[in-house]
Formats: sequence, structure tokens, C-alpha cells
Amino acid sequence: MLILRYSARELLRHPIRSGLAILGVAVACAMLLDMLMLGGGLNSSFESLLTTAGYELRVAPAGTLPFDTGATISDLQTVRTGMQRLDEIDGVAPVLGANLLLEGPDRPRVFVLGVDPADQGIYRLEAGEDLRSEARGERGIVIDRELTDRGLAIGDTIMLQAPGSFADARSRRGEFTIVGIADFLYSSVGERSAAVSLGTLAEITDQPDEASLLMVRLAEGADPEDVVARLRSDFPGLEIASVGQLVERAAQRLSYFRQLAVILGTVSLIVTTLLIGTIMAISINDRYGTIAALRAIGISRRSLVAAFALESLLLSLAAATIGLALGLLVAGQLESILSDFPGLPAAIRFFVLDPGRVGLAAAGVIAAGVLAALVPAIRAMNAPIASTLHREEP
Amino acid sequence: MIGPQGALVEASDVRREYRLKGDLIQAVNGVSLEIQAGDFLAIVGPSGSGKSTLLHLLGAVDTPTGGIIYLDGIDVASMSDPERARFRLEHVGLVFQRFHLLPMLTAMENVELPMAEAGVSRRERRERAAELLERVGLANRMRHRPGEISGGQRQRVAVARALANRPSLLLADEPTGELDQKTSGEVLELFQSLNADGTSIAVATHDLQLAEGARKRLVLVDGRIRE
Repeated sequence: MLILRYSARELLRHPIRSGLAILGVAVACAMLLDMLMLGGGLNSSFESLLTTAGYELRVAPAGTLPFDTGATISDLQTVRTGMQRLDEIDGVAPVLGANLLLEGPDRPRVFVLGVDPADQGIYRLEAGEDLRSEARGERGIVIDRELTDRGLAIGDTIMLQAPGSFADARSRRGEFTIVGIADFLYSSVGERSAAVSLGTLAEITDQPDEASLLMVRLAEGADPEDVVARLRSDFPGLEIASVGQLVERAAQRLSYFRQLAVILGTVSLIVTTLLIGTIMAISINDRYGTIAALRAIGISRRSLVAAFALESLLLSLAAATIGLALGLLVAGQLESILSDFPGLPAAIRFFVLDPGRVGLAAAGVIAAGVLAALVPAIRAMNAPIASTLHREEP
Repeated sequence: MIGPQGALVEASDVRREYRLKGDLIQAVNGVSLEIQAGDFLAIVGPSGSGKSTLLHLLGAVDTPTGGIIYLDGIDVASMSDPERARFRLEHVGLVFQRFHLLPMLTAMENVELPMAEAGVSRRERRERAAELLERVGLANRMRHRPGEISGGQRQRVAVARALANRPSLLLADEPTGELDQKTSGEVLELFQSLNADGTSIAVATHDLQLAEGARKRLVLVDGRIRE
């Protein structure tokens, strides 16, 4: 329509004014996107991390979930067998964690996980062989990239020892051959991780028949919440939770981020509304005489309001396009800063790119922009034509 | 179409009052007039005499506070706001002192605008706009924007726009107010030429040259017709 073509060209009539408004709204849109990504990103990232290995339940000594090396489940075999008897349970993967010292010049600390090589969801092998090679009689170890960065490679032999007194430590050490390199799913940034067989680590740490954590895989169709209830009844001394419950707990702990995101997201929407509202009010006020003249020649209120709404829509669309790109760029920068957050798995992402959130940010900015234009547009439509023309004409 | 008495415009005891800072202003005070089809009427009078207000009332831009106005046989005061907008679009052509062309549209697009609003097809309105711009002597300025042509040419575009939907009456409020004497003369010639072709015109003006060029004159003083 011709009146709509007029709207598009009107924006080009004041390129600096339009450009500055677009940049201002783009910054607000970037902030909104980042807040939406932050608000839900941490939760979805945490959930994705917990479910990635395919274990739906976690079992740990009371008060230690998600993981604590300071407390263990005793009578592991009895507990594991008891759980595996349930038809709803497909597998139980025990994990024992311990901080050991790598023998060498600076004796760096290594977080060693003892696992059942046949059933584990702690790491993903990237190179070499898995711990199953232990069947050949070797004491194998799978290490992470932090350790390979120290010059270690597949085939190397390393000595790990439990911290403690010198005399005690001599008996609690073990020599391992590096058989594989893996990505440890739950390691935090800078943490050196390795995995050995559960029995080997239990022997070094003197924790036979113990585990820090059990990862439980459910049979197809089993309801996690039902199984959790059953296990809590059968094993009252243990803390048992489904991934969903853990995500819920994490969400409660991370509500600070959500609140921050909601407040800043709302602020950015208000800024968008004010910016576009101001620009459109200035632009429409400049054209009061022309608007009155157009109405006088018979152009309907509906056509004129549609023209102003389109003007605002184009402004918002341009701003949203730039703002989304800017938001993704800023999210990337912030992610690299926040990924060093202590104690969190390195795989956790604060800002998760989700098309739904991108769409929501764009829709929010566009809707706020169009609504902001309606107030000055409707005000101009309600101005009496004759008196406006009297005022505008000398 | 004509009014009950056979005239294109019939106004009877038309009043327009409004309040300004508590004072009652009688901008038009009991005006009765008739404009016949094919007339070229000049409404003259000093500043503040109510010329523009009367013109706005006749063109259904404003609503009288008293009296009756028939244009094309229709009582314009009784219509709703959207009905009046549609009525103006189809029955009235308006020309303003400051042209009020859209600066980002070409002369052709400005003339097309009322036709687009009326739902005329793109092809038809292009042909009609070209024909009108040719008629007002701007055949070579169709692709120019208002900022690229002179004041007199802009007013010609405004006249072409006013004629776009073939109105029954062309109303012009101080159409030469922003123009020099020579250009004003050209606008007068255009009006005379259009009138000769059958266009009914009413002009509110201070411009003696324009007033004298009209077929009829009506003098307005303090909102009343001076005999």
C-alpha cells in the first residue's frame, strides 16, 4: 500500500535519528536476549549434563548430592545388588572419587574416579582404549586433556598416591599405564581428572566396597519419581533423587540468576518501549499538520495508525536484527568469563542458545516497539483536524 | 447530485462556536449560502473573519455547532467521523496553503495517495495521476519529490491530488499564501482552467488577484456574510 511505502521512506528521511534509535533499541534487545539465555540457560544446561550419560537417578550418602568425596556408601555390593533386583532398574554404576597426587616435581593433585569399566557415565573416551584393557592384566588409567597438556600420553606410566603421612602414603600408591584420553563430563575448569577401575581406586584409598555415588539407569518406561520413592523406602539412609528433582533443586539454588534475568529483561523492554515511544512521538509531533491534512483529504485513521505502526515495526525489526547478533556476541564473551566459575562442571553453560528464546527476545522488542508507537499515533488521530490545520497554517 | 434546493452546496444558518480560554468564540455566525455546480467562489475577508472555518465546514472537515450543510445532497453534519472521512475522500478535494505533500513520495505517488485509499487499482490510479499531473502542467515532474520542485509546482501537485477522486467540489484554503505574485497568477489560471472544464471551486483567500479572478465573491467579517 502507498501509505505504508510512505512509512518505510519516512524512516530514511531522518537517517541519524532513526539510526540512533535503532542502535539504542538494539542494545536493549541484546540485553533482553542475554537475560533470557541466562534465565533458562543454566537450568537447561545442567539438565542436559545430567541426562547426557543416560542415567536417570543419582544415589549418594545423605546430604552429599550431587557429589562429595568426603562420604561414601558402604556395603556397596549389597546396595547395588538390592537395587538391581528391581525390574524398573536396568543398571547401577558406582563411582568412587578421591583426590590423589601425581608423582612428579610439583606433585599436582588429580581427581581420580573409580568406575566399573563396563557401566559408567562419567567420561567419554576420545582417544586410545577404555579401561576394559585392564582385562589384559594392566593397571590402566584414562586421563583428561588437562593431564595430556602436562606432556602425558597414551602408553606412559604414571604413579598416583593418596595424600597422607609419608609412611602411610608409601603403601597407598599405584602405578598406572595411560590407556586412553577422555572428556570428563563433570570436571570443572582447570581440574585434572582421571579414571581407574573401582577396585583399584578402592584398594589405593582403602575404601573397599564403598562408593561416593551410584548412577542408576532405569528400564524403558519406568517412572523416575516412582522408582525414587521405592528406593527411598528400601534404602532410608541414602539420598536418592531423579535428574528432574536435581534440576529442580539446582533451579531453586540458581533462582538469583533468574530473578536478575527477569529484572534486567524487564528493564530492557521498558527501555525499548521508551526509546521507540519517544522517537515515534517526536516523529509524529513533527507531522501533526501533515497528519491533519491527510485526514482532511480522507485518509482514514486506520490507514494512518497502520502506517505509524509499520514505521515502528520496521524500526524494531532493524533493531532486533542487530540486537540479536549483538546479544549473541556479548553472551559469548560473558560465557567465557563465567565458565571459570569455581566448582561448576566445565560443561555447564550459562548462556544457552535456544531458538525459542531468540524468538521471544525478538518478539518482545517488536511488540514493545509497535505498542509504543500506538500511543502517540492514536493521540495524533484524536486531534481535531480543523483546529490542528488552523494552528499549523499561518 | 444536488441539495434540496438544487444547489451543489446548501448551507443554512451555519454556526461554529468554540471556547478559547473560557471565552466563547463565534468563528462562523449564521452563514447561509449556496454554491451551484460549476461555480468558482472566492471567500474573502480579514484575518480571523472565519474564512478557513467556513471552508472546513463546507468540506466536512469540521462540524457546525448549528445550522445545516448539504453537499451533494448529503447532510454532512449528521455523519459519523469515519463516514465524514469517506465522504471527504470521494466528494471533496482540498488544497492547503502549505501544500502538505508527503516529502518522501514522488509527485505521482502523492497524487495516487487518495486513490489508493479509495481502493482504485494500481494501474488505474497511475494512469489517472499521470493524466492529472499533465493537466496541471507537471508532466515532466512526475518522478520528482516535493523537495525537488518549486512552491508553485508543489501547489499544482496538491491541486492534482485534490482532483484525484473526481470530487464534486474543490476547496482551497489560501492556496497562494506561500507563493509569489507570478506563481499565484499561475495558480489562478489553473483554477480558472479547471473551472472552465466544469470543476466547482471555493477558495478562501486574502489574495486580491485570486479573488478577482473568481466568478463570485463572498465577503466574511466576524463570521458573518457582509452584503
